[in-house]
Amino acid sequence: MRITRRTLALTAFAGAALGGLSLASLPAAAQDSITIGVQVPTTGPEATYGNDMFNAVKIAAQEINEKGGLLGRQIELTAGDSACDPQQAVNAASKLASQDVVGVVGGYCSGATLPTLKIYGDANIPFVITASNSTKLIPANPGNAFMINSTGADQTTKAVEFMESKGIESVAIVNQGDAYSQDLANLTRDAWEQAGKKVAAFETVNKGEQDYSALVTKIKAADPDAVFWTAYYADGGLLIRQLRQGGYRGTIAVGDGSNSPKLFEIAGRAAEGVYAFSNPTAEFLPKAKSFSETYKKQFGNAPGPYAPLTYDGMMLLAWAIEKAGTTDHGPIIEALASADGQEWLSGPISFTDENTLARSNFIVLEGKGGEWALAE
Amino acid sequence: MADDAASRRRRDPAPSRPNTGVAQLLAVFDDPRKFWLAIAVVLVAVAVAPLLFGQYATVILTNALLYVVLCLGLNIVVGYAGLLDLGYAAFFAVGAYAVAILGQQTALGFWAAIPFALVAAAAAGVIIGGPTLRLRSDYLAIVTLGFGEIVRFSARNLEITGAASGISGIEQPSLFGWHIDSPTEFYYVFALLSVFAVIASVRLANSRLGRAWLYVRHDEDAAEAMGIDRVRVKLAAYVIGSIYGAIGGIFFAVNLGAISPESFSFEQSVLILMAVILGGMGKIPGVILGAFIIVLGPELLRDLGELRLLVFAVGLLLIMLFRPSGIWPSRKS
Amino acid sequence: MSLTDILMQQLVNGLVLGSFYALVALGYTMIFGVIKLLNFAHGDVYMVGGFVGFGVLSAVGGTLGADWGGIAVAMFLSMIAMGCLGVVIERVAYHPMLAAPRLSILITALAVSLVLQNSVLTLTDGQITAFRTDLGFGGLEIGHVFITYNQMVLVGTAALLMIALETFVSRTQYGRAMRAVSIDKDMCRLMGIDVAKVIAITFFIGSALAAAAGTMAGAYYGSIWYFMGFLIGLKAFTAAVIGGIGSIPGAMAGGLILGLLEAFGTQIPGIGSEWKDVFSFSILILVLVFKPTGLFGKSETERM
Repeated sequence: MRITRRTLALTAFAGAALGGLSLASLPAAAQDSITIGVQVPTTGPEATYGNDMFNAVKIAAQEINEKGGLLGRQIELTAGDSACDPQQAVNAASKLASQDVVGVVGGYCSGATLPTLKIYGDANIPFVITASNSTKLIPANPGNAFMINSTGADQTTKAVEFMESKGIESVAIVNQGDAYSQDLANLTRDAWEQAGKKVAAFETVNKGEQDYSALVTKIKAADPDAVFWTAYYADGGLLIRQLRQGGYRGTIAVGDGSNSPKLFEIAGRAAEGVYAFSNPTAEFLPKAKSFSETYKKQFGNAPGPYAPLTYDGMMLLAWAIEKAGTTDHGPIIEALASADGQEWLSGPISFTDENTLARSNFIVLEGKGGEWALAE
Repeated sequence: MADDAASRRRRDPAPSRPNTGVAQLLAVFDDPRKFWLAIAVVLVAVAVAPLLFGQYATVILTNALLYVVLCLGLNIVVGYAGLLDLGYAAFFAVGAYAVAILGQQTALGFWAAIPFALVAAAAAGVIIGGPTLRLRSDYLAIVTLGFGEIVRFSARNLEITGAASGISGIEQPSLFGWHIDSPTEFYYVFALLSVFAVIASVRLANSRLGRAWLYVRHDEDAAEAMGIDRVRVKLAAYVIGSIYGAIGGIFFAVNLGAISPESFSFEQSVLILMAVILGGMGKIPGVILGAFIIVLGPELLRDLGELRLLVFAVGLLLIMLFRPSGIWPSRKS
Repeated sequence: MSLTDILMQQLVNGLVLGSFYALVALGYTMIFGVIKLLNFAHGDVYMVGGFVGFGVLSAVGGTLGADWGGIAVAMFLSMIAMGCLGVVIERVAYHPMLAAPRLSILITALAVSLVLQNSVLTLTDGQITAFRTDLGFGGLEIGHVFITYNQMVLVGTAALLMIALETFVSRTQYGRAMRAVSIDKDMCRLMGIDVAKVIAITFFIGSALAAAAGTMAGAYYGSIWYFMGFLIGLKAFTAAVIGGIGSIPGAMAGGLILGLLEAFGTQIPGIGSEWKDVFSFSILILVLVFKPTGLFGKSETERM
């Protein structure tokens, strides 16, 4: 008698855990709302950027809901924490797919986004990728994913062109050892050498290291005309500060991952005169300016580099759902593919045959008086 | 300590401690008469799980089974031989990268690449273990940590490993015309691997080598006096553990289809170690339980968003405070 | 810059970085000494210390100024707060585990680390907090070697703290008790030493040193975030082992050695910044292979 009871108890124990999993896979929202998945890292070392992107989606969804929602239904967001880890991302994507989301927005850390493409592809769920931009995503895309962040190649072209125009002969390129910044650094090095110029130093730092003084000394000794930081603002701000503190007086340029007002908070006045390559964003469009203000008001800090793009991603998906007039995946994907270059916060969006952004209109910003201004 | 309580309770059925329920539950497996029944129940549950639950649960359970293989491997190093290893993800990485690189650079095919991956992992085990196994466990811990970081940094910096972007487009294997590619199929592959891993672990524990480990773990000097070559015995644990890790890595790589250095971080090593100790070092059912808790815990808490790891950590802390030797500890220790 | 200049500058860089490593490594080593625990939450105490220091500085910066004066007050209060946090952590998470198998307590340490990290992640929404101060960029230029005043204050403060610690450990009654406990806890109990109290004091001091480092790092580098304790925790742990874990002079030396290794590793041709950690860890492994107890450690047999 007791055997059965214990065995039953054990089975119940295992069943409860599994039941929890399968319960979790029931549609989270009530039938009359539209559920959108947001795949970003909200835990782990990349949560800084993930939360920032999530906040941007929240603002977009809120604005849509206040205007009466989509197809007369309210948007409900459900988070899929990718933790910037491929396996965690797959888990999150499987959960979102099982919840019958109408679409997914997000994608940060190309390594974590890559294995999720197959899952969304199998379920034919529209996926608007707003940050991950590795070229490795392109062949893995089954056709339902759309990358609205331009790939490194576009930015490289702009960076090389701009630095040449400034009469720069030698450059030190510094990345952060992740796929995004390493890719941009490699492309820039190749293009720069092809242009017949000198790469004085090619360096990698570890995220979160804080102390870059040894690197600063090395760069100073190599004496390049410019330093190009290809990674994000958090470590970039520290590096810029230490470069200036260490007495480096050449030009400093940063990639689009550092294009955030937060760079000035961290680097302080060292960020004056720093150039940033960026999508036409933030304060340079009236709509973008109001987005920045809403963000600051609601979350108490300035939006990060991918906030405007991610806001656009949510808005673009909403636009596609409206256009398709249904929550069925197929028509929404078709609608996304037909994006016709209308203006969003980050400029016009239309797609190539590979579902990547069909434009390259990087602009150059300059740090002036603690904020970004258009560089002449 | 908890085991004494459990065995006492078997004689005296009156429950006396708050964790009686769990102990009683776990005691089913400790009783030889009910053991096979319990095993049968578990096997049937494993076999039917993907049929009962959706794809999401299947994916998570596959992940848990991967952890079972990894944890059983680390258990040989930590639980059997008593060596603290903080860089176990390195062997996991060697397996995954070896099979991915061979698949891309050669025409070997998946199955033919496996022996090479295993040899590479065993070699890594010897390289790191050989010179360092004489160290005290705390020093060994940092050496393995350092080794784990060296492997990760190398994967990040080298061309052949695809640098930070990693390797993508890894072919899924076929077996006798059966192409393994759906989550359910991978679930059964990992279920099979786990069963093999369990059987191998049981047999190892009861082997001559297993007894040597036990001896070395309890009293190294006495073991040596009895003629056990402790360095060789420890090295064997290391190599076998690294092969387990590599097997996990090999199938991890083909399951995901893409690998990158993020999967092989120090946190990964720590998670595997956590599972081993949490469940109950040295005891196979305990280790399996630990693997499931470490994978399912954060997953069940997903709806909490950024709070989920916080809640999970508090849970871990409470479990350890109430069951300091692990949930289901080995009676021998 | 000539090669000598470069090497001298890297020496300065390495000393500054090494001072941080040493301060954090001291906590690792002291705690290991008394309860034989690799306290994985230590890096996170450093991180929380940075945030508390920031909070205090924001509150008092208006009246005291946000230069070294204000920072000193912030650092002092943060040290006391983190000292208390250290004692609480020990009481709640480690003390009940002292009788358990040694590796079990490691898991509680990892859990405490996750709790601290994710609490701050939740409180700050994961955002990086700018640590605003009025510190200038000025400094001394000796030849081509540039040393900022901030670096001098920083290394000086670290040295003062270490001298104070050394005096405490070698001259006072509690310091002697601490050393005794690290050798034989049971014997200490028999001799009438209040072991629990000694352990609590050790946690207080170790955590306070981490808080000092966290506050200074925040002020010096200019930003703090929830994950900043991870890497330095790993590095300080490494430093403590290089020096010989359990040895206080060892932790100081280990910290400085690791700082210098990293600075010079960045500069070595063919290694460069991307391989510098591989370089440091390889040196670490080599040191341990040839000197298995670390540089200052005593050899002892052990049981797991």
